[in-house]
Amino acid sequence: MSRYIATRALRGANLIVKEFDAQLQKALAELGPDKEVQFTNTAYYLPTILGYTGMSVETIGGLKPVLDHCRGLLHSPPENRTWLPYLGETLDAGVATLLAEEGIMAIRFANGQEPQRMPGLELTGTSAPSDTGYMNGPIDDIQLRSWGIQLVDGRMPGFAAIIGKAKTNEAAVEIVRQLQRRNILIFLSGNVNGRSIIHQLMEEGVEMGYDTYIVPFGLDTISTVYPMGFATRSALTFGGMKGGQTREILLYNKYRVFAFALALGEVDDLKYATAAGAITYGFPVIADTVIPEIRPTGITQYEHVISMPWDDIEGQTDAEKAARFVQQAIEVRGVKIKITEVPVPVPYGSAFEGERVRKADMRVEFGGKYSRCFEYLRMVGLDDVEDHKIEVIGPGFEDVEEGGAIDLGILVEVAGRKMQEDFEPVLERQIHYFINGASGIQHIGQRDIAWIRISKGATDKGFDLKHFGEILYARFHGDFGAIVDKVQVKLITEPELHAEWLEKARTAFDYRNQRLAEMTDEAVGEFYSCTLCQSFAPDHICVVSPERLGLCGAYNWLDCKASFQINPTGPNQPIPKGNAIDAWTGVFDNVNEFVQQGSHGAVDTVTMYSIMEYPMTSCGCFECIMMILPMCNGFMIVSREDPSMTPAGMTFSTLAGMAGGGLQTPGVLGIGKYFIISNKFIRADGGLKRIVWMSSFLKETMAEELKEAAIRAGDPDLIDKIADERVATTEDEVLAFLEESGHPALTMEPLM
Amino acid sequence: MPVTVEIPKERWTGSIREVTLGATAEQGGTRAKTVTVGGETTLPFLHFEGEMPHTPIVGIEVQDSYPADWSPVLLAAWGDVLNDPAAWAKKAEEIGADVIMLKVRGADADGNATSPEQAAAVIQSVLQATGLPIIVRGPGQAELDNKLLVAVAEAAPGERLALGLCEDKNYRTIVAAALAHDHLVVASSPIDVNLAKQLNILISDMRLPLERVLMDPTTGALGYGIEYSYSVMERLRVAALTGDGMTQQPMVCFVGEESWRQKESRTAEGVPAEWGDIEKRGITWEIATATALLESGADIVVLRHPETVDVVHETISKLMAH
Ligand code: SF4
Repeated sequence: MSRYIATRALRGANLIVKEFDAQLQKALAELGPDKEVQFTNTAYYLPTILGYTGMSVETIGGLKPVLDHCRGLLHSPPENRTWLPYLGETLDAGVATLLAEEGIMAIRFANGQEPQRMPGLELTGTSAPSDTGYMNGPIDDIQLRSWGIQLVDGRMPGFAAIIGKAKTNEAAVEIVRQLQRRNILIFLSGNVNGRSIIHQLMEEGVEMGYDTYIVPFGLDTISTVYPMGFATRSALTFGGMKGGQTREILLYNKYRVFAFALALGEVDDLKYATAAGAITYGFPVIADTVIPEIRPTGITQYEHVISMPWDDIEGQTDAEKAARFVQQAIEVRGVKIKITEVPVPVPYGSAFEGERVRKADMRVEFGGKYSRCFEYLRMVGLDDVEDHKIEVIGPGFEDVEEGGAIDLGILVEVAGRKMQEDFEPVLERQIHYFINGASGIQHIGQRDIAWIRISKGATDKGFDLKHFGEILYARFHGDFGAIVDKVQVKLITEPELHAEWLEKARTAFDYRNQRLAEMTDEAVGEFYSCTLCQSFAPDHICVVSPERLGLCGAYNWLDCKASFQINPTGPNQPIPKGNAIDAWTGVFDNVNEFVQQGSHGAVDTVTMYSIMEYPMTSCGCFECIMMILPMCNGFMIVSREDPSMTPAGMTFSTLAGMAGGGLQTPGVLGIGKYFIISNKFIRADGGLKRIVWMSSFLKETMAEELKEAAIRAGDPDLIDKIADERVATTEDEVLAFLEESGHPALTMEPLM
Repeated sequence: MPVTVEIPKERWTGSIREVTLGATAEQGGTRAKTVTVGGETTLPFLHFEGEMPHTPIVGIEVQDSYPADWSPVLLAAWGDVLNDPAAWAKKAEEIGADVIMLKVRGADADGNATSPEQAAAVIQSVLQATGLPIIVRGPGQAELDNKLLVAVAEAAPGERLALGLCEDKNYRTIVAAALAHDHLVVASSPIDVNLAKQLNILISDMRLPLERVLMDPTTGALGYGIEYSYSVMERLRVAALTGDGMTQQPMVCFVGEESWRQKESRTAEGVPAEWGDIEKRGITWEIATATALLESGADIVVLRHPETVDVVHETISKLMAH
């Protein structure tokens, strides 16, 4: 806590409470204690006072206990020597300030001085007695409900209380436009040396009123109490709280009402005091002048007070500065922006994902045989991303001949307070689906083997390189808004830069591969559940660990982790492993407990690394099915792609009926194919060396990976010793093959 | 030799929440009476095992404009009132509805889009015409639902309407409207225990008390996936009774809509003669669907045909007798 701020806030609070006292005495004398006080059309009395103290003030006399309450909150300004860094006193002073301000407003109402008169001001939509010549005064309950619904359902991200006067008229307009563009409500009050942002907007002809989401309350700082009253009533209306539930009301605002204050121009004592009041609601203050900052978080979600001196903000024009200023405010408050549409000139939707672009219809391609295309998503700091910046670096494809190819690099840089480096590959994999959603665009592959085609039809409609950026920007915000706050995209065709970033991307891919390889079940504290398939296999639950992916192959541990961040009530929940009951077969007490609950009591024990003892259940989505071949003392693995007869006497589809449905059948297991190359693969039953038969499809498509796994298993030629459907379709034939090839399973401990 | 057989009883730990629809003048609304559903401590109608403190109820569907797309059997049964939602609701009350389910279609028979103002006017006229509590549903497209249901909510503050459908896509807006104007919501999810549960969690996260949430598990009609509905509803109920707090909402099933949509209830021509009389067939279809869903845990069945209403009422009272 800055002592400077504390001193000034306390001074401001003392002053305004004294002012309240004076006005109250005068009103008691002139109007009498029974004179009614009331805000426009509200059932919430004086809302800030109601919220903070539970007092329903209806008369001038009713303000007396409010004054006492204010006094109780006041402390004297810290003295030079005895001062301790104590936030509480300042916040108390802020509360006293808001209560006193609202009390003063109530007296003004009783005197017929509110809403304030403002000659020349026209409002489109207002609670004021007339739409010309008045400030708005407090927002009435009807408008509160109507905006409240939008604030609660997220269509309106939040509100900004602007206090004071912008550096220039242009800056004032630009700040307001930046907020409007994001659907953020704008409340105006205060002045600097008699001039207010309200004057500035009037001079520039900016339309104000409910219809344009801009509400002018008054030329003084005291009017700032109206936004606070609005916030309080939101909690009372939508949070179901009662007056006096102070803590709940403040927390509701902190977590659900995304509001912030912009202090424009010089900040005087009363503004400091009012700002301290706003902070108690969790609303941070961003100033465009030099003031001490309060960076540590606590009462607000992130920083409390931020100073961004206007002249130091990057940018040539006030417009550019305003954009940065508002962006910063939004970040400090953690306001999430929603984007619902993907602004591209071609139809967009998942229906187009499977579309192919044939050579003859193709305008241009990136990647494939004739050029190189890579895509790389990386996490960077919040300050290193300018949200929605989309750059094409290098020539476009205008000069490429029809049906030709050029190099392209898609570099997506994301930042977010909840983003983690581990989510990079999870997000990067989405690029494929996102780009494929555009009609007339085909995307294949990933990383440095991406291959994209744009059809003639799409370019005729105006589809251009920058639209890749628009798609990625919109979709990452839309689908991953929970972890991503800012997105910028670079589309690189310039040869030197392309080579440079390709190199960087490859280094990153290597690093990721290595990290993935190092990620073991022992190294993490929690596994994840997946219950997505319970819709058709009600008792099935996949337990996903770093070394065992979901049996459908679509969810690995990182995917589940990211999915949990995005959708905390969704199908992927963390399971703290707890204690190992049997580390070798992979039995953990917490996992068992979770599975018991998740399977509704159907399964009470599950092993992570065994097919013979309490194997994991299967829903039916398995990429591969494993089954014991008793004569061969081992297991076979048949993949979904393989239609042939297996040595078990059944084809994949017949086996699927046996393996699925959420039943635990020792000797039968559904798996994702990458589990085969995991170090934990049926470790308890002997691992990869127990595999005696495997669909040739797997041998071929995973040749490299299987070879490495065989080396790790200590038998480099193992894969060649395993039979497949080309050499054996009965168990006898498998056994004969194994004897000839010298398969290790034959000399291993008997399975049964 | 006489044998005494002891009937095994399940000992459930959970119970269904009680939800009250409608508000009287004292409670801030204008309804002549309220109705409460839920409260069960056992599976449907197992009176020997637990309590069913509230009889399952029957709603009748009323639409805001002429339902030209309805089966001719229904059009004939209701006649002229179909042109006037207020008269229709009044007649529904006379016939024996416990609640009215007003469906705002989104467009009239000529394809003119319904404005929020029109939706507001309709709810007001229906509120005037009947003293029963009301469930209001939108056209079923998230965005349009939001627009129309918010207007309806605003036009009837404090009436404790049940607003629906409140789905994954638009629950935030519907819940916010219910919070703002003191209503209930019908949480609707596509035949899936986990999704139903998740939606309840999300709704209560927004601080709408679960005493104001009905659950629509999405049901199929007889011959069109009713066994799937049955099984999902049964699993929801079992989860609720075993103590899972997020599945303990009373269930509402829109039986009439599902059952009268099927070919068997609509088509008189070009079907085998042994299908029999179209009128009898359609009504039977609705009765069979409603009865099966009551047996799987429905607390409210919303019906379309006046004759079904009688039969279902009778079935319920027989099932409740013990
Ligand atoms: S099969 Fe895949 S989607 Fe289904 S529960 Fe397992 S991990 Fe989830």
